[in-house]
Amino acid sequence: MTLPCGTRNYNYSEDMATVRTGTQWTMLIVFLALLFTAPFFLNNYWLSVTNIIGITLIAAIGLNILVGYCGQLSIGHAGFIAVGAYTSAILTNRLEMPFLAGLIGAGVISGLVGIIFGLPSIRVKGFYLAITTIAAQFIIIWVINHWGLTGGFAGITVPYASLFGFEFRSQSSQFYLIIGIAVICVFLAKNFTRTKVGRAFVAVRDNDLAAEVMGVNLLFYKLLAFFIGCFFAGIAGSLYAHYTGSLNAEQFSFTESILYVGMIIIGGLGTNLGPILGVVFIRVLQRLLSGELVPFLEKTFTMFPAGFASGLSPMLFGLVIVLFLILEPRGLAHRWNLFKAAYRLWPFSY
Amino acid sequence: MRKKSILIIIAVCLMIITALPALSACSDNAEPKTGTLKVGIMTPHTGIAAEKGVPLRDANLDCIEYINTELGGVDGYKIEAINLDSQYKSDQAVANINQFMSSGCLFFTTSSSTEMGYVQAIANRAEFPGLVAYAAPSNYHPPEHIYGQTPDYGDDWIAFANYYLKNIWKGTGKPKMALHLLSNPTGFGARDAAKAMADTLGIQIVATEEHAATTISEIESLTRIKAANPDVIYISSTAKPAGVIIKNAKELGMYPNITIGVCHAAMVGSLITLAGADIVEGVYGTFPTVMFGENVPAMAKMTEYVKKLHPKDEGNPDYIAAWAQSLIIAEILKNALKNNSYSVLAKGDVNAWRLIEKDGFQKLNGYDVGGLQGAVKYVAGDNRLTMYNRVYRVVNGVIGSPSAWVEAPLVKYETFDWYGK
Amino acid sequence: MAELLQYTITGLSVGMVYALIGLGFVLIWKSSSVANLALGPIVLMSSWFNYAMFIEKGLPLYVAFLLVLIFAVVLGWVIERVALRPLIAQPILSLIAVTLGIGYFLEGLVTFIWPASTAGFGDKHIFPREVIHIGPAIVSQEYVWVIGICLLVFFLLTFFFRYHRMGIAMRATADDQMAVQACGIPVTRVFSTSWMFACVVAAIGGILISSIGGISHGLVDTGLKSFSVVILGGLDSFGGAMIAGPIIGLLENLGGGYLTPYLWGGVKDIIPFFIIIIVMVIKPYGLFGEERIERI
Repeated sequence: MTLPCGTRNYNYSEDMATVRTGTQWTMLIVFLALLFTAPFFLNNYWLSVTNIIGITLIAAIGLNILVGYCGQLSIGHAGFIAVGAYTSAILTNRLEMPFLAGLIGAGVISGLVGIIFGLPSIRVKGFYLAITTIAAQFIIIWVINHWGLTGGFAGITVPYASLFGFEFRSQSSQFYLIIGIAVICVFLAKNFTRTKVGRAFVAVRDNDLAAEVMGVNLLFYKLLAFFIGCFFAGIAGSLYAHYTGSLNAEQFSFTESILYVGMIIIGGLGTNLGPILGVVFIRVLQRLLSGELVPFLEKTFTMFPAGFASGLSPMLFGLVIVLFLILEPRGLAHRWNLFKAAYRLWPFSY
Repeated sequence: MRKKSILIIIAVCLMIITALPALSACSDNAEPKTGTLKVGIMTPHTGIAAEKGVPLRDANLDCIEYINTELGGVDGYKIEAINLDSQYKSDQAVANINQFMSSGCLFFTTSSSTEMGYVQAIANRAEFPGLVAYAAPSNYHPPEHIYGQTPDYGDDWIAFANYYLKNIWKGTGKPKMALHLLSNPTGFGARDAAKAMADTLGIQIVATEEHAATTISEIESLTRIKAANPDVIYISSTAKPAGVIIKNAKELGMYPNITIGVCHAAMVGSLITLAGADIVEGVYGTFPTVMFGENVPAMAKMTEYVKKLHPKDEGNPDYIAAWAQSLIIAEILKNALKNNSYSVLAKGDVNAWRLIEKDGFQKLNGYDVGGLQGAVKYVAGDNRLTMYNRVYRVVNGVIGSPSAWVEAPLVKYETFDWYGK
Repeated sequence: MAELLQYTITGLSVGMVYALIGLGFVLIWKSSSVANLALGPIVLMSSWFNYAMFIEKGLPLYVAFLLVLIFAVVLGWVIERVALRPLIAQPILSLIAVTLGIGYFLEGLVTFIWPASTAGFGDKHIFPREVIHIGPAIVSQEYVWVIGICLLVFFLLTFFFRYHRMGIAMRATADDQMAVQACGIPVTRVFSTSWMFACVVAAIGGILISSIGGISHGLVDTGLKSFSVVILGGLDSFGGAMIAGPIIGLLENLGGGYLTPYLWGGVKDIIPFFIIIIVMVIKPYGLFGEERIERI
């Protein structure tokens, strides 16, 4: 569709390839190489930021499939992440199962819970559907807080992630685990959206009645979207649980759920690139503001009383979001496409 | 996206590369005495808990400034406070602790049990010692590398219960107590303590209710408590919901006929300003420090600083708690410097953390914190550094009429099979 | 029986508070189909402004109240003009994300201006505090005032939307922006007005709630809670919000009152959601929302 000038496809496999041109291959390989050598030139702090970005990204990809591709608005994503996190914690801590079982189990259980709360979607749409996901958020947190198995308010500890006898202890080993899974998820999502199911999702999003008339089974595909979206959330939750080592229901707040929706909107709904850009943008912005800018200001302007700059961090955060959306209401991914088009057509861009 | 990420990574690399020589230059060429001791201080000074985070942060930083300028630091080394905002959110807190660890902090502090709950496993795994101002039992049961500066929410309940039995309860038999708990570790720390100790102390728990931090009416739960006919209601919560509950109890005609006690999270000035002085008059509450205006050695300096730097915090006991926290920070560093050279500690690596914990935290032995709070002392197996609370009462619209220091014994929660289940 | 009466009365009165803030949601939705996620912070901000005028500056209540209303109008105008006007005709979800950004900005602004983050009205409370006894049950006088003011605001808004030119224009805009524009109605002014109205309603809500329990950051979440009220009522129905608020309040109190002994604690905050889900499955556009007939 948006192939660079002079690139043609000579057979079907070329047409269906994910990565098409030599430039794309080079850039992808260079990027991956840079990404996976990051532990050698990033310090532990920035590695931890990258780890959180990776975990958030996996969850955001799931949300993007649910909201961006299938059009089912969910404002309870943090709740489903919590299901995954606690499933993994219970499986590995209480039942002493291996990490891999926890990871897969987290995805599956989270997906099943997603299906339960997705059931009303067969009748309810748009913002009215949001209420069932908000309900999911609050009900899940309530259950976690009171059910004995989850540790309740005292929290639950989670062992290190381990694969084939290797424990992911250091920040950099966790980096490889998290970013590795994140890269796989990005790749899966990218391919998934081109399959029959992915196209059915888009049909449901654009007009569910029309989709049904065309023979798309609405109930099945809507619930499948909930399952897949929440499966990713569960994987993210599991990784988060093993990353932080202890869980507490307050980690999965409603405001976090709203922020997830904000991230994929800012990145660009219904694109594969969107969640990546949105997540990196929001998480890095958060860190730069509260971890770098505010301490810097407080250190520089010592004439003001300590702490004068603390309100600046949420203020600037909001301001940047507003400005970005005003300048690019269709999301960062759209801007990137415009940039690519301009680059390809240069010097004859319009 | 790839370009963008590459750009970001390159930018980050450049930043680190430029920062590295500067950092190493600092540590190599500088005179030993001009080096600093880095301590990470995490406070929730924006977001949902800012009401407590702001005065706590103010006091932490004011006191460290006082230590650095007037006391000349710790053994001549200035304390460098790296203060980060947690916003009371887990992702911020997790990023903060990683920033602390990688910027060479010797240990870190948090204000609240919740913030510590977000990061305690990371700290425990890395053996990075932490000090939490207001702890919950879940922060250090089982005890690892996290220490509590003041008694936890469970100890609050025990202290209040002891005080109640001794000084307020006049009836015969077991007094009937109702618990009203905030739905987080603040509230449920008290529940755990009550579960563990109520029988031993001779208190009958007749009702346990739960409320959210954002509640605007608790008439409904109080109606049920009223039906159970308790002698005393204990509210383990923060100031705003506690104020709502007390107000509703008064409207229902329950208060002041029965006694109301609150935990230290609620026993602050904002309880009175939020609910109104006439409503909370006579409420009991525990608090682990002295109040402003009391005659203790550290009071004069602290009052001078609060008047000079943050006059709006004057009278807020949270300020005292965090001031005491900073004094304890200095004491820990002083202890650690007794047995270790600065150059070993200044590395801020696992080895330094172990030494800080072994020679700093665990060598605390009866330091009186300028009289601001109970003396801090480490006893093996008990990560609470102090176990002394005072019970206050709201009298004429101010928190006053302090009791003697009430001791709360160690409860080994982790030995109960219901704990965390 | 006495308990039942108490639960009912408390439920209804608390529910009216949710309803009042919910009206602010409906106002925006009705004219532009945007879910205003910044409503909570607007409530917080105007409560603080009221506090600053009434307590800090010591102005008389009616002057402070007028100033708050003016402030809310200006705030609404600025938000619409600066952040939402440039996004007209852009995807709806982008507009919603912008309101999210506005919310963060206002929260930060509040922290910046009033770092104390809690304040109470102390002895200068706005409403009398004596309780009113209804049989064995009690209701705080503050809530009676809230109910009165809430009904007043509701009737004013209803009449405005039914009979005033601007109100009719607003409803028309919600129905079909293009057609309305073709008829010569200034759509931008309609949006602007609806934001001013929403901010005024939120400000009134803020003053009332903060007069009951003081100002704290929790007001933001109270604002969010009314979101579920509005969805139950139907996003574009004032009447729906007015009925759904008390329904949620009732469910909370009755459900909490009778089910807590049998379930885990805190069930009060969860019960309404179960009921809402069931209601939504039966009536997918809320109790009173407009059903959209879809075309393929």
